[in-house]
Amino acid sequence: MTGFAVVPLAELPEGAHTVVEVAGREIGVFNVRGSYYALPNVCVHQNGPLCRGAVSGTVVASAETAWKHTWAHEGEIVICPWHFLEYNITTGECVNFPGRGLPHYRVVVAGDELQVYGRTG
Amino acid sequence: MTESFLGGVKLTLRLRELTVVDLDVHVYETPAALAPHCAQPWRTSLEYFASLPQSYLGTPGFAPYLDAWPDFPPDSPRRQTVTSPAQLRGDLDDLGIDIAVLIPDCFLLHAAIRQTDYALELARAYNRWLTGEWLTEDNGVKGAVLAPHHDPLVAAEEIRAYADHPNIAAIYLPTSCVDPLYGHRRYDPLYDAAQETGLPVILHSGLNVHPAFPFNLHGYETAFAAHALAHPFSMMANLASIVETGVPVRFPGVRFVFTEAGLTWVPFFLLRLDRDYVTMRREVPFYTDKPSVYLKQCTYFSTQPIEEPDRLGDLATFISLFEGEDNVVFASDWPHWDFDHPLKAMQIPVSDEALAKIMGGNALRLLGLH
Repeated sequence: MTGFAVVPLAELPEGAHTVVEVAGREIGVFNVRGSYYALPNVCVHQNGPLCRGAVSGTVVASAETAWKHTWAHEGEIVICPWHFLEYNITTGECVNFPGRGLPHYRVVVAGDELQVYGRTG
Repeated sequence: MTESFLGGVKLTLRLRELTVVDLDVHVYETPAALAPHCAQPWRTSLEYFASLPQSYLGTPGFAPYLDAWPDFPPDSPRRQTVTSPAQLRGDLDDLGIDIAVLIPDCFLLHAAIRQTDYALELARAYNRWLTGEWLTEDNGVKGAVLAPHHDPLVAAEEIRAYADHPNIAAIYLPTSCVDPLYGHRRYDPLYDAAQETGLPVILHSGLNVHPAFPFNLHGYETAFAAHALAHPFSMMANLASIVETGVPVRFPGVRFVFTEAGLTWVPFFLLRLDRDYVTMRREVPFYTDKPSVYLKQCTYFSTQPIEEPDRLGDLATFISLFEGEDNVVFASDWPHWDFDHPLKAMQIPVSDEALAKIMGGNALRLLGLH
C-alpha cells in the first residue's frame, strides 16, 4: 500500500477540491489561490463528510466592520454538507467551534502532480 | 441536489445491533404530487401552484411560510428532501434506522392555511398520497395520518379511515401557527378518534412564528432566534393547553409525542406545571395529583435536535430530572438541515438498557409494534 495518493495538478485548478483515499482515510484536497491543502473528510460535529461540501466564503461581523454583516474569506471556507459547519481550509480551524479544528495532511508538489500523504506535518 | 451524503459514514456495531425507531422523518409533498389525489375544485389550485417556481416550504397558498429574513445560501450540495420511497429506504439504511414514521414537509404549515374546505381537501389528498405511494410495502416505513385542525370532525374521519392501514402508525397534528391550541375542547372529536384507534399523536412545529404566535416572536430578525424558540415554545404552549383542559384525564388513552424541540425544556416545564398546580389546583380540579404524574403515562419527547453541551453527561442528567428513560424517543428529522445522525443521540451516556429504550424500545411500545 502506498503512503500517498496522487492528484494530477491539471485536475485541481484554483478553487477546485476533491476527495482522495490514502490508507483507508478519506482526505479532502483543496487548491486555494494556488496553494494546496489537505484535510480529513470528517466534520468534528457529527462526523459528516466535510470535504464533499461546497467551497465558498463566509459572513463575519465585528467592530472592524461596524458590526455589519460582511462577506469574507472567499474561496477559503469549506462547508459541511450535513449541518453547514464551516472550516477555514487554510488553517483547518472550525469557524463554529473556535479552538477546535482539523489538522492538515501533508501535500507535496512533484512535477505535474500532487502527492497527498496519509499523515500530518 | 440528489445526493444524501450519508453513505460514507460507517455505522458502529452498537448502532447496527440496536433496533432504531425514528419518529420524525419528512416526506416531500409537492403540489404536483398531490394534485392527482385531490378532488376538484382544489385540484385546479394545486395544478396552478405546480406551475409556479417551487420554493421549499415557501409556496404561497400551499406552504405559506412567511419568513422575513434574508438567507445566506449555505451552498450545501446535500439533498434536503426525500422524493421517492426507494430513496427514503436507502437513506434510512445509511443512517441505521430500522423503522421510521413519516410526517410532512410543506404541511408542517398546514394549520396556517386559511381556507377551510381547501385545507381539509389538502389533508385528504395528502393522506391518500401517503398511503397510496409511500406506505405500500412492509419495509419499516410507517406514516402519520394528517389530522386537519380546521375541522376536528373531519380530522376524526381521517383518523378512523386510515387507522387499520398496516403502515399508519400515528396521527400528525401540525403545530405551526395553530389557533386555538390543541387543548381546546373543539378538538375533543379528534381525541375521541385517537383514543378509539390507539394511534399516538405527534405534534411537530416549524420555525413559523407569525401570524399567530405569542410573545412577539414575529419580531425576530433571524431564523437563528426564531428557530431557537419556535419549536420548544410551540411544544410548551400546546402541552400547557392540553393539560389545562384535562385531556390526559378526559382521554386517558391518548398518547402524545412532542418533537423537534430537544429535551432540556422538558424538566423545566414539567416542574413549572407541577408548581402552578399546587397553587392553582382549583382551576384544574380534574387532577388529583401533579400534572407530571399524568404526563408520565401519556407523553413522549423526541431527541432531535439533541442539545450539545460540552459535558455529555449533562444530557443524561436532564433525562434523569424528569425520569424520562421510558418517555424519550429517538428522532432524526432526516433529511432536514438540522437532522441528527443516530450516532449523535447515542452519545448520551446512559446505560445500554436505557439507550436501547431511547433508540427504539419506547417507540416500539408507543407504536404498538412489539
